[in-house]
Amino acid sequence: MSEPLDLSLRGQAAAIAAGELDPAELLETALARIEARNPAINAVVETFPERSREMLAAAPAGPLHGVPVVIKDEWPLPWRAQRFGAADMLAKTAPGESGPYRALRDAGAVIVGVGNMHELGASSTGNVSVYGPARNPWNLERCPGGSSSGPAAAVAARLVAGAVGADGVGSIRYPATYCGLTGLKPTFGRSAMDGHHMADLSTTIVSGPLCADAGDCRLLGSVLYGTDLRAGDAAGLRIGVIENEVSEDVALPVREACEKAIEDLRAATDGEVRKIELPELEAATLATVLIANSESLGGVTPTRLNNLDPELSPLGRGLLKYRLMLPAVAAVKAHQLRTMARRRLAEVFEEVDVIAWPTVPAVAPPLEAPLVELPSGTLTADAANVRGGALANLTGIPAISVPVGSSEGLPVGLQLQAAWGRDELLLDAAEALEGANGRRWVEAAPPAAAEPTEV
Amino acid sequence: MEASDSADEFIPAALAAFGVEADEIELAVMGAAHELLWPPILELLSFDTGGVAPEPAPDLSQAPPR
Repeated sequence: MSEPLDLSLRGQAAAIAAGELDPAELLETALARIEARNPAINAVVETFPERSREMLAAAPAGPLHGVPVVIKDEWPLPWRAQRFGAADMLAKTAPGESGPYRALRDAGAVIVGVGNMHELGASSTGNVSVYGPARNPWNLERCPGGSSSGPAAAVAARLVAGAVGADGVGSIRYPATYCGLTGLKPTFGRSAMDGHHMADLSTTIVSGPLCADAGDCRLLGSVLYGTDLRAGDAAGLRIGVIENEVSEDVALPVREACEKAIEDLRAATDGEVRKIELPELEAATLATVLIANSESLGGVTPTRLNNLDPELSPLGRGLLKYRLMLPAVAAVKAHQLRTMARRRLAEVFEEVDVIAWPTVPAVAPPLEAPLVELPSGTLTADAANVRGGALANLTGIPAISVPVGSSEGLPVGLQLQAAWGRDELLLDAAEALEGANGRRWVEAAPPAAAEPTEV
Repeated sequence: MEASDSADEFIPAALAAFGVEADEIELAVMGAAHELLWPPILELLSFDTGGVAPEPAPDLSQAPPR
């Protein structure tokens, strides 16, 4: 077994359980690979080899026994406070046992590093961070996606086979798409969140897995959920599609790949495609942005804003100050729109099992200028991406991004969303889609993952 | 009035009201954010939601009650 790190997450776990793979050797290989490959992609911002070895020495015989993973810089660890990708995060933090940490530890996993993220979790691109941006392993000049940029880039570059991200407004699904991974945003409240500095304030953020495929997301997701995400059957899947900007104001290669994937999924499940209407979607997108931004204002005072750490980026400083100006009446209306969107979705999910549309409308943009070209014109990636990513966070429903194609040598992702609590169905559907395309896209590896590792 | 025009007046006035200082780069960032967010905020404000009572403490892990 020359490159055990190239095994899937479940492959690594099975090989260790069968005695075919030495977890100590796997850990040292992961550390060596991070040292070799990470300087180019900046996915992992900190390793702690002795802590990792201690975790391995104490690891119970859980489902991830001995398997190295990365966790986003959004939760504290017993030996490290989170920094939220920022020089100043407007919240008090301290080392500690967060929910995702405990879930990983109790499953026997070994945290081998902390993943980079977009500063303050405030963008879908990942191009700004106190650590410098993570880079997309498919093209080092392109955005890895955000805000879970490091976890995604780490898995795509095969530094580890699984990573824990967080999704407040698409922040698992955007980087999953840009990096060619499968990323699961759980139903709100189903996955471990305690210890997060916003855990008691946020109504949009969840933890979730980023892995190569749905099977690995099922394994890592089960650990984060604290319950077995059992495999089921997606036969007869009713797929809802929508005719508006989220599916039509999309770069042509992305649109074509997603339309083909939807047809592949329909055929693979012997299902059907139904048109649905979500007239609240456009307003719901803004409502999500308003709620997510206003929920983070608890620790803000004018004095605090006048004394931000000078190392915080000008972008971060400006956006934090602008949040003060969001009108309260808009926040009230945002909550009314949340109710309207939830009620509408409850009706829609009586007619369909999943809703499908492109996770993002264009492939990863350049790091230096994250703009995308769409039929409607040039947009910032953030303005374009939020259209498709926000609804699940606003309403609480689960969503998954699945790699389904490639354009300009960069991955394309399809998003599937399901009713509350039907997270397992999303994994079933993603696996059906993988089968339909011969696992072509989940097994594709970027150039940055091709170099051998010497230990 | 375009959002970019109103930003020139609104943002400095709001900052002054809050007693928050900002340098030129931060003002430019806020101006860009305003240009992006303010038009949809105005649309949102004109959206008639008067008949909708928001769920008081929505359980986002489940569908809304019928």
